[in-house]
Amino acid sequence: MNMLATECLLQLVEERHALEDYQSGVPRWCSGCGDNAILAAVQRLCRDEGLRPEKTVFVSGIGCSSRFPHYMRTYGFHGIHGRALPVAEGVRLARPDLNVFVNTGDGDCCSIGAAHWIHAIRYNMNMTVFLHDNQIYGLTKMQASPTSPRGTKSNTTPRGSTLEALQPLSVTLGVQNVSFVAQAVDWIPELLFEVVKAAYHHKGLSFVRIVQRCPEWLPKVWDPWLHDPQRIQLLAHPKGLMPSAGVSSVYRNRIEHDPSNLNRARELAGNVDEIPVGILYHDPSVPCYEDLRRSTTPRTREYIQAGLEAELDKVTVWPGGAS
Amino acid sequence: MSAVLELQSPVAFHLTGKRSGTDLAPVIERGLRPATLAQYRDLTELRYGFPLVLQRQRAGEASSASLSELIDQALKADTGPEPGRLRAHAHRLEREIRRALAEGVGGTLGELITKAVARIPAGDARLAESTARLQKQLKAEGVLLDCDGKMPARVIAHAWEAAQQERLDAFRADVEGLVLKLSDILRADDARSHSARTPQNLKAGFGSTHAEVFDFEGMSRLLAKGIPAGGLSPARRARIERTLEALRGQRLYAGEEGARAYSFRFASCAAALGAFRERAPALARLGRAITIARLEIDGAYSEPRHDPLFEQLGESALDARDLAAFPDYLVCLNTGTMTASEQAELMEILAGGLPMKILVQTDDILAPPQFQSGHLGFGARARQIASMALGLQDVFVLQSSASNFPHCVAAIDRAMRYRGAALFSVYSGASPHAPGLTAYLNAAAAMESRAFPAFAYDPAAGRDWAARFTIEYNPQPERDWPLHRLEYEDAGHQRVVEEHAFTLLDYIACDRRFSEHFAQVPRAAWNESLAPVSDCLDAEAGGIPGRLPSLAMVDSSDRLQKVVVDERLLREARRCRDLWRNLQEFAGIHNSHVARALAQAQAQAKVEPQAAPASPQAAQASPQAAPAAVATPAIEAQAKPSSDEPYIETPRCSTCNECTQINNRMFAYDENKQARIVDATAGTYRQLVEAAESCQVAIIHPGKPKNLNEPGLEELMKRAEAFN
Repeated sequence: MNMLATECLLQLVEERHALEDYQSGVPRWCSGCGDNAILAAVQRLCRDEGLRPEKTVFVSGIGCSSRFPHYMRTYGFHGIHGRALPVAEGVRLARPDLNVFVNTGDGDCCSIGAAHWIHAIRYNMNMTVFLHDNQIYGLTKMQASPTSPRGTKSNTTPRGSTLEALQPLSVTLGVQNVSFVAQAVDWIPELLFEVVKAAYHHKGLSFVRIVQRCPEWLPKVWDPWLHDPQRIQLLAHPKGLMPSAGVSSVYRNRIEHDPSNLNRARELAGNVDEIPVGILYHDPSVPCYEDLRRSTTPRTREYIQAGLEAELDKVTVWPGGAS
Repeated sequence: MSAVLELQSPVAFHLTGKRSGTDLAPVIERGLRPATLAQYRDLTELRYGFPLVLQRQRAGEASSASLSELIDQALKADTGPEPGRLRAHAHRLEREIRRALAEGVGGTLGELITKAVARIPAGDARLAESTARLQKQLKAEGVLLDCDGKMPARVIAHAWEAAQQERLDAFRADVEGLVLKLSDILRADDARSHSARTPQNLKAGFGSTHAEVFDFEGMSRLLAKGIPAGGLSPARRARIERTLEALRGQRLYAGEEGARAYSFRFASCAAALGAFRERAPALARLGRAITIARLEIDGAYSEPRHDPLFEQLGESALDARDLAAFPDYLVCLNTGTMTASEQAELMEILAGGLPMKILVQTDDILAPPQFQSGHLGFGARARQIASMALGLQDVFVLQSSASNFPHCVAAIDRAMRYRGAALFSVYSGASPHAPGLTAYLNAAAAMESRAFPAFAYDPAAGRDWAARFTIEYNPQPERDWPLHRLEYEDAGHQRVVEEHAFTLLDYIACDRRFSEHFAQVPRAAWNESLAPVSDCLDAEAGGIPGRLPSLAMVDSSDRLQKVVVDERLLREARRCRDLWRNLQEFAGIHNSHVARALAQAQAQAKVEPQAAPASPQAAQASPQAAPAAVATPAIEAQAKPSSDEPYIETPRCSTCNECTQINNRMFAYDENKQARIVDATAGTYRQLVEAAESCQVAIIHPGKPKNLNEPGLEELMKRAEAFN
């Protein structure tokens, strides 16, 4: 079918960018840090999807991972601790034309930001959330985070942490309106990219937990999984991801998992001996909050002014009594 | 002798059309009607598709609905006590509404319910309660229409208005949104300019309450320093202002500036075409303004790229689909008054795919054709227009009798939302030549007899005829003629049940102008040779026929009569059947290509078990003979270089920067930001080994050293072994 003249004109603006065009500054992350892998995968997504830098925003909280927006040549908002999600929701409401990404760490999201996390899942606003989970507070030089495995020795837990680690995927899958949950590990770049891409294409809140190594503070914690490909459980399904032959030849522990099966997804999320990699859950039918609440009234100057006046009148003290 | 003559006179009539005996009376004078229609004398007693309610539309609802259907829905929705009583009352009300309409009383559904209640004699105290309950469940409201000559145009216009309103509302919201956002761009630029920060403007923007306590001079001096550089370029500002002007000056709906909105309803193709041509430049300008506005709002307008394109974009660049956001035109025509030039213009509209919805109504399909061509040519003009439109492929075509409207409301609504031209070819049934038949019955009989078959062709429904074309509205579409059960009592008072085909001739028999072609056969002359018309169609013409085509009709007191038909009409019936078979083929019923392919395949299946397939095509078609093509998953064999050469498994690189920080001339990233060795000689073997050791995912293989004079080589090679 021919394209309409007007459509052609609108599409003329499509510009191709190289990966370097999305790079801003030199990352201050330690060498060997998994954040670098995530940055590379996200930049590759931006390039492949032709995202316009001025139409893309990365919002983050506080922590090593939250330095992410500094290294993207797009809009960015380096927020406050635990509050990346509320900021991103505000951006989403005010600027529905932007592609919104959120980078948050395990401390940022699962500790101080836990309340926002739960409600962001329930609101299901269209954005892509990357949880960089290295199981430690790195920027403040090694304190246990909610996802640190029991027994982790850190500055705040010198005799080893006493509690079992929180499972971010299990928590997310337990919240109403959850619509997309996936997991990747930073050391399988191909799958990391595929997961990031699928998350971007989902309309709704896509929650991606990326298991990430911290070579500085917990250098050995992931070694058993890193060195034993059998402990990576590839989730394959035509409705989810189909890992390539190359990846499958290295990672042979592969199971069929239909991402529309929530109960099975919850079961898989609790697996700590093996790391399930791929899409655990996907339900494209969950409505987005911004769509449910979108007003059809044009925000004219008069409309805004009338609304403000009405609000202010509620608290105005009229000299000489109300008229 | 006289018996022979009596027997032969129907034969003579059949062959010549001449009445030799006085007993062969014309049918209309005797008040005969087809036996199938015997039970439809009083339509007000029947529950059927009419009247239609032109619904005041809510989103997702059909533009009109049948009263019976609405009442059934209301009864279903009601959960109160005594559902049987409610049903009885509802049906009583429905009957009264039909009677009132038949007497010429009009109004909306609500009004007619009130009138119907008033017509029912008082006595049943609970009728009022039932009516209230029913009205609570009746969600629809709107004017009621019975099936008459004016009904098709009103239903089509109502559906058109509903679709128009939907489109205009969306268009208006779109344009107003664009105007708002474009004005915001100008306003934001104004707010950043010097003039906005003059003391006067600052004061004006502040309100009067506390103005005296501020020093606006000082504020202006301070704020003027912080004005950001680089506002809107004059060219961009001029372009935005021009676009705003074009958007505000649109005339598709009445804007604030008082410009009168265009009318889109016309009574002739010439007027519609004239208006379309006259408005084309303005619409093209508007389309261009909308595109520019979108680009400007998106911040995507690039002057070097877009300026020349918009300059070249004339009105011709807007095709029917570009115009889809704009309103459609509605033209209502009648074949009875249509001139040849009007028909030519109609074809021009349809062929051009202009955004026009055209109703071509026929009130008399049995009218003699303009050019005598030897046959009666019933409905020739309507058929001609509809088939030409079908041939154009991108015109939505709906042909239907008015009686079928309750069933094709969804198709009408779909046609109204179709981007492009739509043609409605409708037979109203309001012919003055069929005494005793209401418009509804006449129209229904025309469709039943295949004289005016119903079909819909929806180009948006898919890519092939199977998806686009349907004749499902017709009764028993798989048959040549629909069969109807006829029950009657014979002379011996025995119950007889027969199946009668309702043919074209049954329909024509109702028309006064064709009376001469039918002759009633006296009961005494009934014999075996009188056969149903449907059985006589395949007989070869010529010679004295063994069977005489006859129709079963009833007189005014519902007594069965037999009527013989002349040969000329039989030819028409044959022709009508062939045309209908043509339509069936389009719809995939008794498709000759399929039948042929099936016969071939069956013949081949019989041959195959005996002989091995000889031709290569046959070998391909036969699953047994085909080589087993088992799809083996291609396992990507990663070609490993020899262990002497250093290499990196690049696809597995996690971009951790370890190696590039050791030596960025030896290690570099590729376009996906994954490491590879660009120059193994750009550094030492030690660096290679250290990189392999520090690599987080252990994908660097150092190979063998190139420079054998490098110090500490032996120890390095030992360390490298773990990675090679």
